[in-house]
Amino acid sequence: MAVIRGEMSAYQSRYSLRVRMLVVLGAVLLLFLGFTGIALDRAYRNSVEGGAAERLQIQVYLLLAALEQEAGEFFVIEDIQEPRYAAINSGLYGFVYDAALTEMWRSDSALALSLSQGEQSRRIPEVGEAIFDTVIDSNGERLFRFSYGILWEGVETPFSVSVAELAAPYFSEIRDFRRSLGRWLGGAAALLLILLLVLLRWGLRPLARLSLELRNIERGISQRLTGDYPDELWAVTENLNRLIDSERRQRERYKTTLADLAHSLKTPLSVASGAVDTLSSSSLSAPNLEEGNAQLLVIKQALERMDQIVAYQLQRAVSTQNHATLALRVNVATAVSELLAVLEKVYAGRRFIVESQCDEGLQFRGDERDLLEVLGNTLDNAFKYGAARIRLIAKQGDDGALEFFIEDDGPGISVEQREFVLQRGARADTLAQGQGIGLAVVSDIMASYQGSVTIEPSDLGGAKFVLTFPQPETEPTRK
Amino acid sequence: MRLLIVEDEDVLRQQLEVGLTQHGFIVDSASEGRNGLYYGTEYDYDAAIIDLGLPGIDGIDLIKQLRQARRAFPILILTARGDWHEKVKGLNAGADDYVVKPYHLEEIVARVNALLRRAAGFANSSLEFGPIQLDLSAKRVALHEKPVDLTAYEYKLLEYLMLNAGKVVSKAQLTEHLYAQDHDRDSNVLEVFVRRLRQKLDPSQTLNPIETVRGQGYRFDLEQGAEK
Repeated sequence: MAVIRGEMSAYQSRYSLRVRMLVVLGAVLLLFLGFTGIALDRAYRNSVEGGAAERLQIQVYLLLAALEQEAGEFFVIEDIQEPRYAAINSGLYGFVYDAALTEMWRSDSALALSLSQGEQSRRIPEVGEAIFDTVIDSNGERLFRFSYGILWEGVETPFSVSVAELAAPYFSEIRDFRRSLGRWLGGAAALLLILLLVLLRWGLRPLARLSLELRNIERGISQRLTGDYPDELWAVTENLNRLIDSERRQRERYKTTLADLAHSLKTPLSVASGAVDTLSSSSLSAPNLEEGNAQLLVIKQALERMDQIVAYQLQRAVSTQNHATLALRVNVATAVSELLAVLEKVYAGRRFIVESQCDEGLQFRGDERDLLEVLGNTLDNAFKYGAARIRLIAKQGDDGALEFFIEDDGPGISVEQREFVLQRGARADTLAQGQGIGLAVVSDIMASYQGSVTIEPSDLGGAKFVLTFPQPETEPTRK
Repeated sequence: MRLLIVEDEDVLRQQLEVGLTQHGFIVDSASEGRNGLYYGTEYDYDAAIIDLGLPGIDGIDLIKQLRQARRAFPILILTARGDWHEKVKGLNAGADDYVVKPYHLEEIVARVNALLRRAAGFANSSLEFGPIQLDLSAKRVALHEKPVDLTAYEYKLLEYLMLNAGKVVSKAQLTEHLYAQDHDRDSNVLEVFVRRLRQKLDPSQTLNPIETVRGQGYRFDLEQGAEK
């Protein structure tokens, strides 16, 4: 599990799936809506301009019907039906040009109008050709202009008739359209983004559930992934389950193998030390009796040493390092009452007054064997050295840690001795001669749970062991 | 005191047999669980020593079955693993104490003596009945605080009677608990031992510590406690 966690944290620094999909889909959405907007805008504009050209063409025909020419002079023979030609600056203007672009006539409305520079170089429409363009007047106003090439009866050179109209009304129409188009597209974009978020949340929900389930396994609430997952995740959850199972099996196998090893080593050790006992008790009548006994003592000490090493390494190995991740919950009150019942039986001859306080609901997250080992060794120590009173308090500390206080009324442990008693023999051969392995095992197991063990004086008169198991992480930390 | 040993390792079993016999116990032994169960239910033992890892019936099951068969004698378990999980299992099954392998014979003897004493209801290893004091661990007897010189058999007889003080102990029971099976003792020998004990403990014939219950056996009949 440690490996998986490491890789996960490496990925956490990058973007989450949701952010990635949101960015990509959001970009696609904006691009699509943007192009749609541009295309619609262009189409509308073209249609507005086309409409303007059509209207101006009609105006050209109207003008042609009303125009008359005599000796190179153009004039209007009757009232044009369009009154705007007569009103000055009305916004609709009529012109007649000759082949050299010399103005031959302009409507009354255009009397105050002057068109901008560059007019001379514009293309003259061929006879029968229509040109639609825009010009700018001296006030900077934009005008649509429709020009049409004609031949006048009896005149050799062609003329051209132009009608110009202020473009502002058309442009304001286009602006209105743009504004409403923007509103609609913006609304659609917002709606789609919300929909996208909802979809992503729904789509990624199995992943959130998977992470919750994994956390529950880590916390010891459940043993396997049980949820019904979509096909895409099924392979992942199946494999995770298989991994969890195999890890659990391997741990069991490891423990069994080690227990078997210890068992098989301890029996010959028993035999050997029994033989040494027999030899040293039956008096050697040889002249070198003292020499023989000295050698036997050496063997005896070596055997005791070997026994300690086997026992110590066995305990270290059996209490595995990874308990917190995949372990189950153990009821503390049950373990405590079982141990106390056993110890009171073993020390029945000494009539201890045992006082124990343990909340019913208190739970230990980890291996039951580890808890039994830690409490068993500490309590055994208290019973061994206590005179008549033992006190055990188990409770949940303020920071959520599981705390045990085990006190006795024995001689206590001096400040100098405390360190020594709890010394964790990183190697069994660093254990002091004659020192029991019990408290060293306690130190080791506590360390493997990132817990602590300290010794204080007890108000009962003896030693007070304080064991603290920190609260395992309930939520994976995430930045 | 008759002990049952159930241990599958031959050398260990022999060492225990020899060692405990030297310490004055009568020892029967079995090398596997089924035999152990047979002995344990057929004969009346004062205590049993049972290895937890046994072929046939495993040690824990053996203890459970003995307890189910209402055998109340104290049981000492031998365990190689020595972890609390194992100890709790064994003691919950009905054992009374444990010794972790490898062990010293002295430790086993001390534990067995403590169990016998506790089973008889005595808190410490020195039994006091009026002027008679018996030290279970040192196996010494004193009268008016002066040591009394007893033979091994006399001591065993007195110890058994004192541990069963107030109860009538039949001659058959004494024979079974004090002598190995192969020595088929004549009950007359018991009478001789009882007479000698009476002479040594009650030379003035005022105390009468061992009462003869006609047709039933003997009873150690002094009040427990130090002499006033």
